[in-house]
Amino acid sequence: MFKLNLKIALRNLWKNKTSSFINVVGLAIGLAACLMLLLYVTYEWNFDKQAKNWRNVYVAMTNVPGDGNKIAATFNGTTTALGPLLKAHLPEVKYVARMDYGKKSLIANGQNSYKKDSKFAEPDLLKMYDYQFISGDPKTALKNPLSAILTESTAKTLFGTTDALNKVVRYQDRENLTITGVIKDLPENSSNRFDFLMPWSFYEILDRDVKDLNWNNYSFVTMVLLDQNADIDLVNRKVDGLVKANAPQNAQSQPHFLYQASKLHLFGKFENGKPIGGNIEQIYLFVGLAFGILLIACINFMNMATAKSEKRAKEVGIKKTIGANRSSLILQFLTESMVLTFIAVILAIALLELSLPAFNRLLNFNIGISYFRVTSWLGILGIVSATGLIAGSYPAFYLSSFNPIQTLKRKINAKGFPNISLRQVLVIGQFCFAIILIIATLVIYRQIQYIKNKPVGFDVNALVEMPQEGELKTKFDLFKTQLLKAGAVTSMYQSSVSLSHHGRNFMDIKWDGMTKPANTVMFNQVATSYDFIKTNGIKLLAGRDFSERFASDTSAIMVSASAVKVFGYKNPIGKKVTLFGTNAHIIGVFDDYVWDSPYKSNNPQVVFINLKQTGTITMRLNNANSLQHNIETINRITKAFNPAYPTEISFVNSLYQEKYKSEQILGILSNLFGGLAIFVSCLGLFGLVAYSSEQRTKEFGVRKVLGASVANLMQLLSLSFLKMIAVAIVIAIPIGYLSMVKWLNNFEYHTEFSWWIMPLAAIGTLTIALFTVSFQAYKTAKANPVDALKYE
Amino acid sequence: MIQLTNIEKYYASKGVKNYVLRLVTTTINQGEFVSVMGPSGAGKSTLLNIIGMLEEPTYGNYHFMGEDVTSLNERKRIELYRNHIGFVFQAYHLIDEMTVYENIEAPLLYKKVGSAERASRIADLLDRFNIVAKKDLFPNQLSGGQQQLVGIARALAAQPSIILADEPTGNLQSAQAEEIMSLFKKLNEEEGITIIQVTHSEKNAQYGNRILHIADGLIKEDIKIQA
Repeated sequence: MFKLNLKIALRNLWKNKTSSFINVVGLAIGLAACLMLLLYVTYEWNFDKQAKNWRNVYVAMTNVPGDGNKIAATFNGTTTALGPLLKAHLPEVKYVARMDYGKKSLIANGQNSYKKDSKFAEPDLLKMYDYQFISGDPKTALKNPLSAILTESTAKTLFGTTDALNKVVRYQDRENLTITGVIKDLPENSSNRFDFLMPWSFYEILDRDVKDLNWNNYSFVTMVLLDQNADIDLVNRKVDGLVKANAPQNAQSQPHFLYQASKLHLFGKFENGKPIGGNIEQIYLFVGLAFGILLIACINFMNMATAKSEKRAKEVGIKKTIGANRSSLILQFLTESMVLTFIAVILAIALLELSLPAFNRLLNFNIGISYFRVTSWLGILGIVSATGLIAGSYPAFYLSSFNPIQTLKRKINAKGFPNISLRQVLVIGQFCFAIILIIATLVIYRQIQYIKNKPVGFDVNALVEMPQEGELKTKFDLFKTQLLKAGAVTSMYQSSVSLSHHGRNFMDIKWDGMTKPANTVMFNQVATSYDFIKTNGIKLLAGRDFSERFASDTSAIMVSASAVKVFGYKNPIGKKVTLFGTNAHIIGVFDDYVWDSPYKSNNPQVVFINLKQTGTITMRLNNANSLQHNIETINRITKAFNPAYPTEISFVNSLYQEKYKSEQILGILSNLFGGLAIFVSCLGLFGLVAYSSEQRTKEFGVRKVLGASVANLMQLLSLSFLKMIAVAIVIAIPIGYLSMVKWLNNFEYHTEFSWWIMPLAAIGTLTIALFTVSFQAYKTAKANPVDALKYE
Repeated sequence: MIQLTNIEKYYASKGVKNYVLRLVTTTINQGEFVSVMGPSGAGKSTLLNIIGMLEEPTYGNYHFMGEDVTSLNERKRIELYRNHIGFVFQAYHLIDEMTVYENIEAPLLYKKVGSAERASRIADLLDRFNIVAKKDLFPNQLSGGQQQLVGIARALAAQPSIILADEPTGNLQSAQAEEIMSLFKKLNEEEGITIIQVTHSEKNAQYGNRILHIADGLIKEDIKIQA
């Protein structure tokens, strides 16, 4: 029976080429989109879940107290003192490993030096994440302070081979480190990635702050592996108690808790110290999109199948009279849809393989189908059977319910109330989804444009920056003099952080007329040198820039406009502020500019002079010379100062571009999948029109003989379909409007929902639909009436 | 084998009852070859459909092989189709997507006949009807007469005790019609299969041994033909 059903299903597919084509292509696109998004979702979902013990790996989080017993922020930075405390007093803790956040540092094999991602960590990290050692012993790898573990690809870059054990590399042109291990490259979807790993004991040698067990500096990450039976709530209560008992307590003390490390990626947004989601929302959105498109394709299948019901009804009738029962017919129709889905999935996988490289490039990922994993096949199989069932169920149950005598007498009324209305509902549903996607695409595009065009507060063009490393830290003044003399830059300064980045947050600030005993507003600090405003061109609202002509400027500060608002100073210039217990006076007020996230306003900022806090050099290029000449000059002079380091000049405007990445991904995806949704919907519409015109061939023949014009007939055929699109527009526009207004409200800075988006989406959809419908309608209307009439 | 008592069938439209059959009472025994005749719209096909359980009478009793079928559920009815009733239609109603062989095989598959048994029965039927060479063709590749032969072969495949034929030769040329009718006669005489056919043609009716004349929903005449 099954074999026969299969054979007949294939014959049916072959016989109805148009509808099979529409079904297969539609389903294939739907499945490909679905699989692609699911691949991405799996990639995101498995973030930091590669280690055997991932469930028990926790990261210590810090709550920053804010106004009125609230928690202003939650982040994963901790002090150096927390780790040893937890290890000594918490019985549930198996391992503790402190790390730094990681940065780019120089690693060299002789003359070949590279900037690579480096990380310092305590040796127990190797016991939490089971890194695969190609060579070396994980037990002893980080014992010696002057040692390093390389990843496979770093070893290949440096030595051309993974056989690098016991060879020596030079770190930051300062220390020689012996390689004690080479490990397999870390998976892309892990948060703690590095190219080479160095022992914490080496970090302690490099930086005295690290060795000192303190409760002030939150620049470190503490990873904890708990016993697998540990009750996290109980552990967190103990952590709280331990910290309270051992750390000095005051209004600004920051409580800690442990959070599952793998959750940080998707559930990393905290409000008042409680997790409230995060990137997972985007994942939900993508899953919705994936199944939405698949559903559209399934609806196409259902519509085509029920449209053909008149034809199939006869078959059902005959089969019933020769002894088929309902379940065998349902089975037959389901077999048909399964066969179709199966063909579609093969096509979908081919499509996926073709488009994945482009998709990866577009979104900067590296994902692919793992063909050798049982789970991926089970997943594909699951999707295929679900799709086949959903697509096939309605026609199967609908068609198999036909009464034999009615079908044989051709009494099935295709224009009857129930089936046409369901078909209409399905088509309307499809187009609603498509129109909502169009509106979403337009709004997302407008929002990205809005943020991009929003002034950042200074002239980003001709502004470049580079990391301040090696000799540039100590010989900055000489470097500045040489560059100015060479004429490549008009002015420059050094600062603790890049202009586009946030500096350290702090609260230890007092000002005159403070109402509260201690400040609870989070401030941001930037340490800089002279010519801060002169170089970056941020608008000065009052006062002046730092200048060498005023010796007292070493104890002067500049503040942002929002800081003045917090201070409540009417006339801020010359007023006193106490910063970390030291008095300073305000010499200038600058306008707030965009740093960190371009979507929200920033906290108040304080800028002061401290030549020891080096980090980034910002330069304004000399417009009198060509860009190329300027860059070459900077390169040459930098190389002379820092021969061991590659020069890395980045343009500040491209740093700002980077910030739009996640919204740009959203934009690309909604464009892509919105387009696909419309295409697949139109494919279905085309199929329906084609079928409807085939059914009405005779009617059209008669009408033509009676004198109907081509336009009359086209109108006759198109109108009923366009009516459905019109209904879809009426339903979709309010939904699209409300959801996008809600989305926009997520951003502090957002564009308005422009009224013209709605008619544009409506007219766009109608035009595409009209084009689809009239193509077929014209073909039918132009046909010779004789051909139509001789059918009977 | 078939006992109809006071069968009535009407369609109500706008409060007016349009009678198709009125108080039809008759008995058809095993082994009879009955032709139902009458003008268009007389209710012949409706009667046949009621006998075939494709339609339900509005009133009246119908016993098929001693069983009251007026209140039979779908599952039981399909059991009867599988084991006792073979249908032959004027428009052949072969399944277009199936070959001749598969069309004949279909009822056996539904009846869950074993594959060896199936093959031998189909081979036998193909042989008997001289359509062995056509077994891999599709219905639209055959002439009308050939299609009807396949239709009858399909009806016979399940070895029914009764064949219901609604104008089986209505779409055929006279030579082909004669062939089909002699086949029916042979099946009736040699294998004892009960046959009920609806026909317009007096000539075709003569192949049987009983004629029911119907007009305006009533049985006007019940004639036995002496062979």
